[in-house]
Amino acid sequence: MTTKEQLKQILVSDLNLEDMTPEQIPDDSPLFGQGLGLDSLDAVELVVIVQRHFGVEIKDMQEARSAFQTVETLATLIDERRPTT
Amino acid sequence: MTMRLAIQGLGPVGGFGSGTAALERALVTAASCPHLTPVPSFSADTAGLEAFVERKTLRRMDHFSRMAMLGAFLALEDAGRLTAGRERLGLVLASGYGAARTTFAFLDSSMDHGDVCASPTSFSTSVHNAAAANIAIVLDLHGPTITVSQFELSVPSALLTAGQWLTAGRVDAVLFGSVDEFCPVIEYGLQRLHADQNPPPPQSSPGGTVPPGEGAVFFLLTRVGEESRYGVITDIRLGTVANGEPRIATDAVVVVNDQRGAMDADTTAPVPAPAPPRAVSYTPVYGRLPVGPAFDMAIAALACRHGLTAATRNHAEPAAHPIPPPSHLLNAPSITCLVLGRDNTFGLITSSGRG
Repeated sequence: MTTKEQLKQILVSDLNLEDMTPEQIPDDSPLFGQGLGLDSLDAVELVVIVQRHFGVEIKDMQEARSAFQTVETLATLIDERRPTT
Repeated sequence: MTMRLAIQGLGPVGGFGSGTAALERALVTAASCPHLTPVPSFSADTAGLEAFVERKTLRRMDHFSRMAMLGAFLALEDAGRLTAGRERLGLVLASGYGAARTTFAFLDSSMDHGDVCASPTSFSTSVHNAAAANIAIVLDLHGPTITVSQFELSVPSALLTAGQWLTAGRVDAVLFGSVDEFCPVIEYGLQRLHADQNPPPPQSSPGGTVPPGEGAVFFLLTRVGEESRYGVITDIRLGTVANGEPRIATDAVVVVNDQRGAMDADTTAPVPAPAPPRAVSYTPVYGRLPVGPAFDMAIAALACRHGLTAATRNHAEPAAHPIPPPSHLLNAPSITCLVLGRDNTFGLITSSGRG
């Protein structure tokens, strides 16, 4: 499973996106506002989700802002920073 | 404390279903059925909430908050005040254990992943006041909001607060609610508690216990003055069982909340209540939970409103649960709901249809 697919599954289950399936989330759909409709509370949850599931820490606000644009940008950051096993 | 509070609306949610009609049906037919595995328990369904609130608004709300939210909407709807102004409406919530599922899920996630990776959403929804805050936000309440927790005495304790707000004129109406939920940790505790009783005694036997339950009950309360739809609460008391206390009117019917078998129940305390038929227990209708007295209050309110319809159950056959026919409450001058707490404490709430 690709990071993007994994991420979509986690977004749906951990953020309780009840009306959505992972397959319905486009790679380039904005995470916040229009698109998935996430908000600032979800952003905090998302930081924890990424660390818990992928072992990637996001500490820098600027970095978070650019990574949290879409599933695509977030998956790219995770793939770049993910610890190798 | 003697105070007079008028009950204008009622919103019960539990293993029997949701709404006053479901509760009345369960009383008349003894139709509440516990889920049987692994520990018999009553569980509440909150699917009806989507009739009042958009699904996306519920996304971050846990089961505890959803039960409370449904109870609140049902009470407002029942009172015909779903769309009324909420500028001077307060909210008082009682809960013995709070959001138990979310609390333990948060603790598990802290232990499994470390505190850095514990879910912030789980933390914020695990605090006892989360349900009250969710209701206040969704209903756009402008009055004060509080959650009171005093285990099995949570209901009379919180009701005192509601009464004080109304008496002091701080608000014009109070949405008074009670909520508790069943969770795997409570289930595990009960399994351990009853491990030496294989199988556990049936609830109808002298040593038997009522299955644990969950649910919410909400009441819309006002000061006495406008006509009361469900009778009037005339007395709320907390005290210690000693020196003749609790004193209960000799002509009152006493509804006793049955906590036998609860993990933290003081089973040695004698129940200071008269013998049946003046003392009855409806705990088998909704299950055993710390805020059980609120369900007793709701049953008393139904009796005060229009007299429960005569029991249709065939009394020649053994009932599924030892539920006294609701006709026991009819025509009683007053109904006193009694609950015992730990260390010989008690709480009682008396209501009367003769407001």
